[in-house]
Amino acid sequence: MVSPPAAIGLSDADFERFCEYFYKRTGIHFTSAKRYFVDKRIDACIRSSRYDTFAAWFAALRMSDHGEMLQELINQLTVNETYFLREDYQFDAMLSTVLPEVLKARGGRGRIAGPLKILSLPCSTGEEPYSIALRLLEEWDEIDHVDVEIHGADIDSDVLAKAAHASYGERSVQRVPKAWMNKYFVVVGGGRYQVDEGIRSAVTLHRVNICDTAAMRSFRDFDVIFCRNVLIYFDELSSRRAAENLYGALRPGGYLFLGHSGSMSRISPIFTPTRLPEGLVYQRPTGAK
Amino acid sequence: MGLVRKKAPQDPPEEVLPDRTSPETLLSQLDDPDADCRREAALGLANVPEAVHDLLARVGTEDDPRVLESILTTLAAHDTEEVAGSLAVHLASDEAGLRTAVAAALATMPSSVPAVLPGLLAAPDHDVRVMTAMVLADLQHPEAHAWLVRMICEDPHPNVVTGAIDALLPSATADDIPLLTDAVERFPDDPFLRFTVKSALPRLTGTP
Repeated sequence: MVSPPAAIGLSDADFERFCEYFYKRTGIHFTSAKRYFVDKRIDACIRSSRYDTFAAWFAALRMSDHGEMLQELINQLTVNETYFLREDYQFDAMLSTVLPEVLKARGGRGRIAGPLKILSLPCSTGEEPYSIALRLLEEWDEIDHVDVEIHGADIDSDVLAKAAHASYGERSVQRVPKAWMNKYFVVVGGGRYQVDEGIRSAVTLHRVNICDTAAMRSFRDFDVIFCRNVLIYFDELSSRRAAENLYGALRPGGYLFLGHSGSMSRISPIFTPTRLPEGLVYQRPTGAK
Repeated sequence: MGLVRKKAPQDPPEEVLPDRTSPETLLSQLDDPDADCRREAALGLANVPEAVHDLLARVGTEDDPRVLESILTTLAAHDTEEVAGSLAVHLASDEAGLRTAVAAALATMPSSVPAVLPGLLAAPDHDVRVMTAMVLADLQHPEAHAWLVRMICEDPHPNVVTGAIDALLPSATADDIPLLTDAVERFPDDPFLRFTVKSALPRLTGTP
């Protein structure tokens, strides 16, 4: 190992080898259209780990495999920008249609066994699971009568650490009503706002790869899953695998929200598409066949 | 009542550990009467090469479509000629659900499908060739477009040519217009093929 290089040049063959390796580890597929994006982030990883060539860094990465180097790489190559109450028409659908249906299907208020479970995957820096919590606390009357568990999961350990800290800049919270800001956020200086302890402690965070079937087996019986704008990063096989894992994580009759850019129809037929006034949602069928 | 936490907070966030059910147990669960159990077992057999034969044997017999999907997802990940060849047999199935599911799985196998393609393109059953066009529609392979062009130019059955045109259209450009108009001329009596091409031409020519 030597001092950081001025620039790391990846050959086309290096790029292909790297993409094949990263795909096998994560299910995320990069085409040559993403070359500039990938090159820049590999360059950052090589510099931070103080190797002088791609070959040396790549060899060390493969040797360490699931270690810190791979995690740093995943953190660099996954896109994490989001904000509070993003695509909130889907939260509208959750409140007005989905949760009442879930409650009814599970026996109704007072007879429901166990909590309602909601999963945000990927949750990135936490804006989505905390948005769900805010909308439930402020706008769902049943919240005083039903227990709700909110879980957030992501492949990227850095964003999960930020989600746990839950401190956000002005841009991230610009859509949060002022009254909610006053009620649920604490000013922490530097123009940042931290979600209050009560909500932070109610969200359970996990690190998991959505394409890892064995790891995803521990996610079970969710009533609602938000998996928005991530399947578009996967190739066809990884998308199928992710869809299977999401299906397994849902309770029969449970609901899956994909983002505006997502569609399950070209990935897998195992979900039942359901048209709501606010848009399309996918359901795990209740019947065996 | 209200928001509740699953368990005491952890710092850093908890890492999810993989399930370690043995392959032997999973193989035995492929025969479980409960469809969810069979489905989970099939998914759990990803990365277990010894399970390929058992999974292939169930493709034609599994009657729950969601279990079938999970079997095919696991098999597709192997992407070998053996798996592709065994799956391709089902493109001739009388069951529409099975042949469609198999076509979708083959479309995710870019490494091995080229090896079985010559046999599929020459299949005597034209319905198999129609399904092959469906596979090529989604196959991420640099030659997929060229294979579809070949089907459009050479296949003697109008349904196959129409299927190949349908598969080609999402990626077609103005350069493909002669290919499409030639196909119409080859089958002047086929109204559906003519309609398919006529509907696509405005987009390709850039005219309303």
